[in-house]
Amino acid sequence: MATRKKVLLKVIILGDSSVGKTSLMNQYVNKKFTNQYKATIGADFLTKEVMVDDRIVTMQIWDTAGQERFQSLGVAFYRGADCCVLVFDVTSPGSFKSLDGWRDEFLIQASPSDPDHFPFVVLGNKVDLDNRAVSTKRAQQWCQSKNGLPYFETSAKEAVNVEQAFKTIARNALAQESDVELYNEFPDQIKLDGGSTDNRSSGSDNCAC
Amino acid sequence: MEKTQETDTDTLISDINDIAIHDPVISKSVTENEPEPSSSEQGSSYEILFDQLKENNKHIFVLSTAGKPIYTRFGNENQMASLFGLMIALVSVTQDSNDTLQSICCGQTRIVFLNKDPIILVGVSQSSEPNDQIKKQLTYVYNNIISTLTLTQLKKIFHNRTNFDLRRLMSGSERLIDKLITFTETDPGFLLDSISCLQMPSSSRDKITQTILTQCSKIKNLVFGLLIAQKHIISIVRMKKYSLHVSDIHLILNLINSTESFKTAETWTPICLPTFDSSGYMHAHISYLAEDCQACLVLLTIDHNLFFALSDAKRKITEKMRCNDCLHEINEAIIRQPVSLARANITGLRHLLYKNKNRSQHWCPPFTSPYNTIALQQNLMSVYSSLISQMNFPGRTLKVIFQQLTAETMLAWATDDVELYMSFEPLVSKECATNAVTKLTQWMKKEEDSLFIFNIPMF
Repeated sequence: MATRKKVLLKVIILGDSSVGKTSLMNQYVNKKFTNQYKATIGADFLTKEVMVDDRIVTMQIWDTAGQERFQSLGVAFYRGADCCVLVFDVTSPGSFKSLDGWRDEFLIQASPSDPDHFPFVVLGNKVDLDNRAVSTKRAQQWCQSKNGLPYFETSAKEAVNVEQAFKTIARNALAQESDVELYNEFPDQIKLDGGSTDNRSSGSDNCAC
Repeated sequence: MEKTQETDTDTLISDINDIAIHDPVISKSVTENEPEPSSSEQGSSYEILFDQLKENNKHIFVLSTAGKPIYTRFGNENQMASLFGLMIALVSVTQDSNDTLQSICCGQTRIVFLNKDPIILVGVSQSSEPNDQIKKQLTYVYNNIISTLTLTQLKKIFHNRTNFDLRRLMSGSERLIDKLITFTETDPGFLLDSISCLQMPSSSRDKITQTILTQCSKIKNLVFGLLIAQKHIISIVRMKKYSLHVSDIHLILNLINSTESFKTAETWTPICLPTFDSSGYMHAHISYLAEDCQACLVLLTIDHNLFFALSDAKRKITEKMRCNDCLHEINEAIIRQPVSLARANITGLRHLLYKNKNRSQHWCPPFTSPYNTIALQQNLMSVYSSLISQMNFPGRTLKVIFQQLTAETMLAWATDDVELYMSFEPLVSKECATNAVTKLTQWMKKEEDSLFIFNIPMF
């Protein structure tokens, strides 16, 4: 089917400030990493095309501001997302604890039709650092408790697992997208009501032939 | 009432600063965030993309309120996915303060937004046309999408799935949108909210109309019948109490003139006419009268089971028209040289647009010297366009505008029945121009029977 050619997925990245959301995105899309920290203000958009199985998929990645004072985009941000990536910093227990809040926030704002099966992916970032404070087991347990969310430990700096994580993100989002039935049924037949009420009437002011 | 406001660059700039797009060109202008230093593929592909975008001075984008691309006039919408994200961000930031983003003005460039939740249309123009005109173009594009899907379906789809990729249902109709945008840029009917009629003797037209009417009036639930020759209407018949809106006719004309396959086979297709009823489909039987007569007959019904009845009616119409010589008269009218303005013999008059307001029909004579090139013709059209929007500015009534421009002198003239836009040689005086109106009006009295359709019978 010709329409299968084009697939675009909206992917939202959420998490506390400085957990490495922008760095992950940059590593994934541009294969770059910088140690300098710059807060994302509002939002940041990146596009990447990937092959998933036999399909070319365009990922429209919405990077968000972790700092509350820079969050100003409202519901448009979450509306119609195909996948949500929750990021925490394995050296920061606080950022891990926030995951619940980010997940809830997303589900409230985006109100997806099937919240229990919405494709989230969890990333524990900065595994290259020595001062790790959240164990793999603890993170996995949390993911298990949320209907078994996929969990990856990543390093944006050393490009560990980044590619694999985003591949899973794309695949899971696509799995949801493809069960949508195409809306083929016709709407009800137009009723001719004698043209009395609206612009069908020949008496309307102009433009009618 | 929704609060709306024209937003200019200054008031938006603080908000725009909050949104970054990873592109060297845009980043510089909208954010203090320096882009990551990169020679990466992403960076260079954006540069190529924006260079391509700059090649065209009029862009139209359609996206869902989730920020997913639906249509772009130029280029590949997938490669612009980030740009679409940026657009929705601008709309959303404004919406969050209970306001509606209407347009952004940025030097020569205007960005006009039309929010038709669940979709948003954006026009970007570098030319001088008024914002209202751009908004009207966006409305046409929106109507074309509705004509494919119906408003009911569109709303239902996004109600069920906010993340729906509408391109899945739109494939094939992008071409129609492309053509429709070209129509809005080149056809005076778009500017004047009117249709153009095929010039022919009124006796011929009446005979044709009567032939169509006789067959149509027998068929229950048939609402409209139109006979079309390229961009011109030959005849219209309609069910009692119902009339066709000009913008719906423009959509039908665009469909017909953009689809070659109608010439080879009779077609049965659902089409929603947004102004008539955006909630459901009409069903159109579309066919050319005969191989030796290239006029297209469109029969519109609300009943989707009516194909065979309409197919039969069409066959009878063609047979009858062959017998009573209508086919021949249509062919004559199609090949006949259109009536030239020179015949009116008015000194200094180069070109005009004449609109019969009561009939919503216009006459645009063929371009003659000095409008010999497409560029000069387009230039004249944009002069008309600005004149028309000045005359029809909401909330005030103008009767006359006299404008001396460098290349021509323009006169706009409106009465209760007629709108007239005339282009004269540059040095023509006001008096001479107003005399021309009188002379032209007298001349039109003799010609108008063949230029306009006065008889649109009901059944």
